[in-house]
Amino acid sequence: MSIKKSEIEHLCNLSKLNLDEEEQSIFLSQMQSILEMIKELEGVDTGEIAPMAHPLQMSQRLREDEITEFNERDKYQKNTDFAEDGFYKVPKVID
Amino acid sequence: MKRHTVRELQDMIADQSVSSDEVYQLYLNRIKAMNDSINAFISIESDETSSGTEENDSEIKGVPYALKDIFCSEGDKTTCGSKMLSNFVSPYDATVVKNLRKKGTIILGKTNMDEFAMGSSNETSFYGNVLNPWDTERTPGGSSGGSAAAVAAGMAPIALGTDTGGSIRQPAALTGITGLKPTYGRCSRYGMIAFASSLDQAGILSISAEDAAIFLEHMAGYDHKDSTSSMEEVPKYTEFLNDNLSGKVVGLPKEFFDGSLDSKYQGLVSDSIHEYEKMGIKFKDISLPNIKYSVPTYYVVAPAECSSNLARYDGVRFGHRSSDDSDLDAFYKKTRKEGFGQEVKRRIITGTYVLSAGYYDAYYLKAQKVRQLINQDFLNAFKEVDVIMGPTTQQSAFKLGEKVDDPVSMYMNDIYTISSNLSGVPAISHPIGFVDDLPFGMQVIAPHFMEHDLLNIVHKYQMVTDWHLQIPGICRELDR
Amino acid sequence: MSWETVIGLEIHVQLDTNSKIFSGASTSYGSEQNTNTSLVDLGYPGVLPVLNKDAVMMAIKFGLAINAEISRRSIFARKNYFYPDLPKGYQISQLELPIVQGGSLEIQLNDGTKKEVGITRAHLEEDAGKSIHDKFSNQTAIDLNRAGTPLLEIVSEPDIRSAEEASSYMQKIHQLVRYLKISDGNMQEGSFRCDANVSVRPFGQTEFGTRTEVKNINSFRFVENAINHEVERQIDRLENGDHIIQETRLYDPDKDETRPMRSKEEANDYRYFPDPDLLPLEIDQETIDKIAQSLPELFDEKVTRYIEALSIKQSDAEEIARNMQIAEYFEATLDHFSNDAQMVSNWILSEVIGVLNRENIEINAFQIKPKRLASLLSRVDDNTISSKIAKNLFNQMLTSADSADELIKQQGLEQITDEDSINKIVVEVLNEFSDQKDQYLEGKEQILGFLVGQVMQRTQGKANPRLVNELIIRQIKN
Repeated sequence: MSIKKSEIEHLCNLSKLNLDEEEQSIFLSQMQSILEMIKELEGVDTGEIAPMAHPLQMSQRLREDEITEFNERDKYQKNTDFAEDGFYKVPKVID
Repeated sequence: MKRHTVRELQDMIADQSVSSDEVYQLYLNRIKAMNDSINAFISIESDETSSGTEENDSEIKGVPYALKDIFCSEGDKTTCGSKMLSNFVSPYDATVVKNLRKKGTIILGKTNMDEFAMGSSNETSFYGNVLNPWDTERTPGGSSGGSAAAVAAGMAPIALGTDTGGSIRQPAALTGITGLKPTYGRCSRYGMIAFASSLDQAGILSISAEDAAIFLEHMAGYDHKDSTSSMEEVPKYTEFLNDNLSGKVVGLPKEFFDGSLDSKYQGLVSDSIHEYEKMGIKFKDISLPNIKYSVPTYYVVAPAECSSNLARYDGVRFGHRSSDDSDLDAFYKKTRKEGFGQEVKRRIITGTYVLSAGYYDAYYLKAQKVRQLINQDFLNAFKEVDVIMGPTTQQSAFKLGEKVDDPVSMYMNDIYTISSNLSGVPAISHPIGFVDDLPFGMQVIAPHFMEHDLLNIVHKYQMVTDWHLQIPGICRELDR
Repeated sequence: MSWETVIGLEIHVQLDTNSKIFSGASTSYGSEQNTNTSLVDLGYPGVLPVLNKDAVMMAIKFGLAINAEISRRSIFARKNYFYPDLPKGYQISQLELPIVQGGSLEIQLNDGTKKEVGITRAHLEEDAGKSIHDKFSNQTAIDLNRAGTPLLEIVSEPDIRSAEEASSYMQKIHQLVRYLKISDGNMQEGSFRCDANVSVRPFGQTEFGTRTEVKNINSFRFVENAINHEVERQIDRLENGDHIIQETRLYDPDKDETRPMRSKEEANDYRYFPDPDLLPLEIDQETIDKIAQSLPELFDEKVTRYIEALSIKQSDAEEIARNMQIAEYFEATLDHFSNDAQMVSNWILSEVIGVLNRENIEINAFQIKPKRLASLLSRVDDNTISSKIAKNLFNQMLTSADSADELIKQQGLEQITDEDSINKIVVEVLNEFSDQKDQYLEGKEQILGFLVGQVMQRTQGKANPRLVNELIIRQIKN
């Protein structure tokens, strides 16, 4: 199994990352060796084993339906210089 | 120079031989004197006070600590070692920080770390390498390298770290201090910037197990803001420290002693086992047959979770934002390209790959099943033994730059530590000696929520040895 | 060739909770931008979701109402994609193991035929924020108030065969969620939204044709238009030898057309995986039983009861039950006046709804509360007043706080039921209009109405008309 440059490009697109040419070629070979390593799992007999998503055998706790958070917009928007009139701003989206 | 333990500071503050302000200033001065040579801190909080104490009789009132820069602390820059968050000021406290604040502890500063905790050498930090106080050409380990170096060099009596695959235990081992990763869910993850949510756990880097016991008691506990935090009661860890170890059974997994460990390290491990035997502990050979799949399993699960956890860094509401505003797609891609370093990008791409259509079953689902097998190995082992011991790492601190271009060999650093995260069990690393003037550590692993056992065992060892009290030469130089 | 239409609907219902599905921020509609956003809704570093209990209970309620299976264990998963209204870069939803699986709903078409539509699943998820494109000149404005509002996504089987069926199904779901009080169903505010998966195939063919997903059909009127339009478009293409491209299309109600959505064209790979921040949701039988016991009477049961126990005409029973608030008003009125349910129904369907329509208000805002209406109708029932006077009083009650009895007393409107006094007037009238009396005797019975009218006029309408009728006939025949 080997990973192709076009696949890296697809993954970059899904994860919204840009790589320059050099990074791309480094990643290609590094990804190759990482995939070689994780390929080891193929041989493990996992028959009827249930996948483990969490370390603890607990179930989801439920929160009462109460309003506990109040408007802190101005405080929270201090972390961006790109809020105006209470809105966050992004480059124009065309549907 | 003397490095004080938390225990000693408590006594000094209690008998008023020193005020908590003086203690705080003492450490700030040490940080100012040493940080240029060690680079352990990303930011120094030089105007903190313990005025926020709700409990006046708190036993740790006035004790200062260093905080890994992955924990949100209100009003402080919280960078996670990344350019992405280099301008991020947290508007809130992580629950563990809040818990400690209530007890009157004081934050000395935010410690350097691998970017988003992804790394084992602290070389992926946007803020530069942390240097190992024992040898500044070497790594202190990672990702909690700043916290480890700060404690080792006496810049802080104790520090918080996080451990996703060994990020507390490995740097503790490489800097000659004690590092505790509690059970998954023991400490709240709320406010701890997520790397891999099902593996991340907050913990402690300290001089002694006793100090870790003191702090864990105040940090740990159920948090209604973290659905994965446990409701299991928090014991008074300090009350277990002096329990008799006689009759305890320790498992030595043959997979940790497969001959791959260099004989100079093996000698230290044997010495410490001998020391434990003197306390009445029995050793038993055991097997964890699936543990050899820990590293590949981890490098599927952790990147998968991280690829999703790090999607929120899009430049819109906080964090680095590209000046390229031409169109949305380019904006996202540039923002993330500029904000993330290589290791983070590599893991995001790996994680995206293992979750993507056509590969999910073969990689992600398969890894989740193997994870179950590894977990069962631990559950089975703990039917026969109380705890498991083995080396924390395969070698002592390696040179900076040595493994940075070879991710797989870097990943192999965590070969002994990763399995505890996969299973969620608690583990502690403690120093057991030196090879070529570099410290080496041993790990003890216990069943879920048996931290008190770990602390008890290591405390008893530290009562009869002084490896944990050794001070790096660089600290002595400072005194001259 | 003749074509068969195959439709499956995905309906997104905003659940009527106080707080969001994973945070304690308010879900109230219409707040100033980004003021209902907690750190969790903003996807801040380090924060974690905690599930809202009421959202879960509402989903179970819905599941029980459609006779579905409630999953004893369900899982939340992350659906990963980048969009500015999705702050975390993933939406928390359910993929495998949704909370509700395998139910059905019976719909009724205009011609009276009934049909069962299967419901594959209903799952809990979080709503996204809103993008506003016309606020700034070169940039899109983002308001995350809606982000994290609980949604129940209800996915039907591809059982629907026409736009009319689709509309009927959508209305039935709408009625159901309002009956269950799990959503306000407000379509203008986006509380109830619908996407349709539409395909066509030659009659007789068993496999499905290529489908398109039509988004943004947020009214009962649009659903028919949008589907009809899309079906025509697909048939046109197929008959011209073109094939259908599997794509997402947006319905534009202004132009009455569907067009491809450019932003969604790129093949997406959502990389679903179980959300490690949330644990499996486990629901015990006790909880399910408790909710089952608390389920309200639903439309079909109500109609049957109205017909069988209250002897109301079927069409009226359906009309009343169609809107749960009207039905509640109806039943509350019956609590105070139960002698003649059909009369109550008549009054509500004509007078009350007439006022609601004229003033464009909901029944909750209607001035005459059930108890006051009941007292008015009691006075009709016990012959104190005529229905004609009652209608007059009804109009007065819209602006007066007085009860029917008070108004009757103030204005001396009690009906005259005393035979002697009515008879006196009857004799008077027959004397005055002897020609008409003769005409009646000659067999022109319609003239009776005229005579009754004269008596009523002289009593200011207060005489009991039935009694007047009787007395006139008796007098003439004497």
